[in-house]
Amino acid sequence: MLQLVVIIPLLAGITVFFLPVNRGRTVLVATALAHAALTALEWFQIIGPLHNRYFSATPEGLLVLAILSFLFLWICLYSVFYMQETEMSKEPVFNACMLLFLAAMSMVTIADHIIMLWVAVEATTLMSAPLIFVHHSKEALEATWKYVLICSVGIALALLGCFFIIFSMTMGQVEAPITFSALHDVAARLNPAWLKAGFIFILIGYGTKMGLAPMHTWLPDAHSEAPGPASALLSGALLNCAFLGVYRCHQLMYAAGLGPFSSNVLIAFGLASMLVAAVFILNQSDYKRMLAYSSIENMGIIAFGTGIGGIAVFGAMLHMIHHSLIKSSLFLTAGNIFLGYGTKIINKTGAMMRLFPKTAATFVAGFAGISGFPPFGLFISELLIIFGAVKAGRYVVVAIFIFCLILVFAGASRLVIQMVFGTRESDEILVPEQWKRALPPLVLLLTSMALVIWMPESITQTIIRAIATIGGTIHG
Amino acid sequence: MNHISTILLALILLSVLLSLRTNRLMALVKLMAFQGVMVSTVPLFSGSEHGITFGLFLFFFLMVLVKGVCIPALMMIAVKRVVASREIEPIIGYHASLFAGLIMIVFSMYLINHLQLHLLPPGHKLLLVTAVTTMGAGLILLMARRKAITQVIGYLMMENGIYLIGTALAGKVHNQYLVEFAVLLDLLVAVLVMGIVLNDIHHTFDDVDTGLLGRLKD
Amino acid sequence: MNSSFTPISLIPLLTTVALAPLLMAAILKVKACFSGRQGPPWLIKYSTLFKLLRKGSVYSTSSTFLFKMGPVISFVCAFMVLLFFPFAGLPPVLSFHGDVIMLFYLLGLGRFFTVLAALDTASPFEGMGAAREVFFSALAEVTIFTILVLFFRLTNSLSFAEYFSHNHGITLWSSSAAPVLLVVIALFMILLTENSRVPVDDPATHLELTMIHEVMILDHSGPDLALIEMGAFCKMLFYAAFITSLLYPFSSGFPASNVVIFFLLLTLIYGGVGLAESITGRFRMAMVPNFILTSFALVFFAVILTMELVQ
Repeated sequence: MLQLVVIIPLLAGITVFFLPVNRGRTVLVATALAHAALTALEWFQIIGPLHNRYFSATPEGLLVLAILSFLFLWICLYSVFYMQETEMSKEPVFNACMLLFLAAMSMVTIADHIIMLWVAVEATTLMSAPLIFVHHSKEALEATWKYVLICSVGIALALLGCFFIIFSMTMGQVEAPITFSALHDVAARLNPAWLKAGFIFILIGYGTKMGLAPMHTWLPDAHSEAPGPASALLSGALLNCAFLGVYRCHQLMYAAGLGPFSSNVLIAFGLASMLVAAVFILNQSDYKRMLAYSSIENMGIIAFGTGIGGIAVFGAMLHMIHHSLIKSSLFLTAGNIFLGYGTKIINKTGAMMRLFPKTAATFVAGFAGISGFPPFGLFISELLIIFGAVKAGRYVVVAIFIFCLILVFAGASRLVIQMVFGTRESDEILVPEQWKRALPPLVLLLTSMALVIWMPESITQTIIRAIATIGGTIHG
Repeated sequence: MNHISTILLALILLSVLLSLRTNRLMALVKLMAFQGVMVSTVPLFSGSEHGITFGLFLFFFLMVLVKGVCIPALMMIAVKRVVASREIEPIIGYHASLFAGLIMIVFSMYLINHLQLHLLPPGHKLLLVTAVTTMGAGLILLMARRKAITQVIGYLMMENGIYLIGTALAGKVHNQYLVEFAVLLDLLVAVLVMGIVLNDIHHTFDDVDTGLLGRLKD
Repeated sequence: MNSSFTPISLIPLLTTVALAPLLMAAILKVKACFSGRQGPPWLIKYSTLFKLLRKGSVYSTSSTFLFKMGPVISFVCAFMVLLFFPFAGLPPVLSFHGDVIMLFYLLGLGRFFTVLAALDTASPFEGMGAAREVFFSALAEVTIFTILVLFFRLTNSLSFAEYFSHNHGITLWSSSAAPVLLVVIALFMILLTENSRVPVDDPATHLELTMIHEVMILDHSGPDLALIEMGAFCKMLFYAAFITSLLYPFSSGFPASNVVIFFLLLTLIYGGVGLAESITGRFRMAMVPNFILTSFALVFFAVILTMELVQ
């Protein structure tokens, strides 16, 4: 049964609390493998969810779950090697929270009941908070406090949105289970005003978690203060789960005939996020913050693509997949850079080509990927989104979109070039690079490249099924 | 039944106003306990169409336990261990906060009167007014106090308000016990996690003043 | 809506006023009881008044006729207010439409002249006390007038007689119980404020710097002080009777039960004041406006409840 993807990491996480560190690491990797196996089984429809009342396997949920599972496996492996190089005072807590975090995110992907989804999203906030302040520095604590409070308040507003949607059922005199799949069929009878209000609040709530501006203020702090593996998981997997919540509500709106309204709102928030990211990335002094702002930008792109509709939604889904792979790889590489230089400040790094060639290669490749260069997947996804927008006749917004992409590339490239090719006074490094730590980010990048060259038919079919509900197609 | 619910809601509004004007941290925690108990018992008396079943009663007993006993106990432990001076440090002052609370009541009455809620029975107006006021007051507390622990209390008050809105608008959810229990558990774990972070903030900064949390900015 | 003059009501009025010092002693007895002492004798206030009346007055050479006028006017105002109040359900001596507003302005007039007399002495302590007293009373006025607004909403009239002296008066037992409960609590807080009781002002303090009301009457002596004391008793009686009338529906007519219950409740209120004085400490000056504004918030909230109920 599919709920095992939640239950197994949950139980494993609780046990890791009490195990010694080495056993804990083994359990971590074993659970990651088990989770990946379960996801594969579900993907090929060998198992399904038990008790369809609260959980169900939807194509979009399955997509996010697959990304999550794949990422978690490689991040786990990386994390084990990372821990061997660094001193972490409470490693069992870190490992346990990684597993609990996995459980919560898996629950988001398979939750169908509106409020169960909410419970899962709030759980992800709570389970990931300890991952951020594991170093107990002042900045890390500040980042954790902002993260917990802003996300909890935002998610509380999302609960309000859930209640509004349930009320739109009452106003429309609809008797149905309060699940997204059941509401789809009766969507036309739901009261539109309350549905719109519910969507707005849910967008604000889950958008806070997703990193949409102007609710993004916690993201740069949290993603930069967390250690490498945790940042990768936060940026690569958590933002997708939050987007899933927004997406399912958008599907509901579309089924109710309010598609244009929710699309426009999504486009507005998406563009706002891209603009904010473009402005703030220009003068960053911390490379992890730079990557965090890039995450905000990419989430904006995904929201924008979903809002445009048509082929742009296909682009948005591709963007989600490839962004997760490439951004996680970048954050893992950033973890390697942090181990090597001992600092997160860009000015104190430099000459990476000379000091850490493998890391530099991965970093440059990752940066090329995140900027949308072929042969990485973001090239295709951004192109598809632009096609879709132009086809829909929305020239102004697509112009802003392209402008923001250029701006972000300009801002980030200056910093990356300084890091990789710039000069550095001293040649001393803290921890030399190793193949086993450089491998997971490389694998993730290669996966993105491979998916561009050969996209398995099952993935394409899943995406098509996921986007069909909001009128997305793969044909122009 | 309606009479009792009017009294409960009036008591909740009073607790909201009192929480905005108090300057003692322990008093605020006790007020939150009181408010939690009142909020948990409102659905029992708000005249839901399903009547009072044994399951409903049991569940609300559980909710009173969590909101009235467990969470305030956690907060009291946090206050005793973490806080040096038991005085709430306000950013906008107690009189201004009290007035803001009163204005919030007026605003929520205006809002509720202008929404066409034809399908709601008349008693629910006070419930919605109380809910919006509690939510707004929770936000005010969150934003207008310096101590990190009062921010947690503001968040709890917001959650109380949202729960009341749920009672007014989505009463049928209260019969799905698993869902309600999950929400309650989430709240409990949230307070636990916030308490742990508070503890660490106290260890690192020697104070829980959020004014000190200002190093990360662009 | 109609004015009336009922001279027969002077009898219960004068009786109650004569008993006011006894009730004040009740407060002292309650406070003493809480601290495990016997307390002063029951007739202490009477003996104080007689003692003061027998003494001569000392007037400072730098004070004017205002200093002599102050006590007289404050006593007259306090007594006049009682003329309009219905005791135990009996019609008041005087009544006309809008008399409630005049009453509170009368009290204000009395306070004004007390303050003038205090400022007249040119003593810095008295000026300080006057400033504090006026500040707190100004805040209390907001609450009082909001209470009047509430009563007007409930009964559409502005006369104490209409509020209390017939069968459909405003009480806890009427249909608008919740707002009235809040008004009772708020009015009790105003009673403590206006009559200079703990937690606003400690009547037993001997440090001028901490006094609010006592310091204003510091320089009065002899019969003047007796008049001021009597005025204070009347003012306390007014507020206490106000609360009492809110607590129980006194029917019109003159059943003996009315009188008994009235005095019982009155004693209870005075005892409650003693209780409040014993269990709370005096507030910091900065927290007193908070206290008064809380009473305003309670009444404001009561008004909102009536809006909700009326809707």
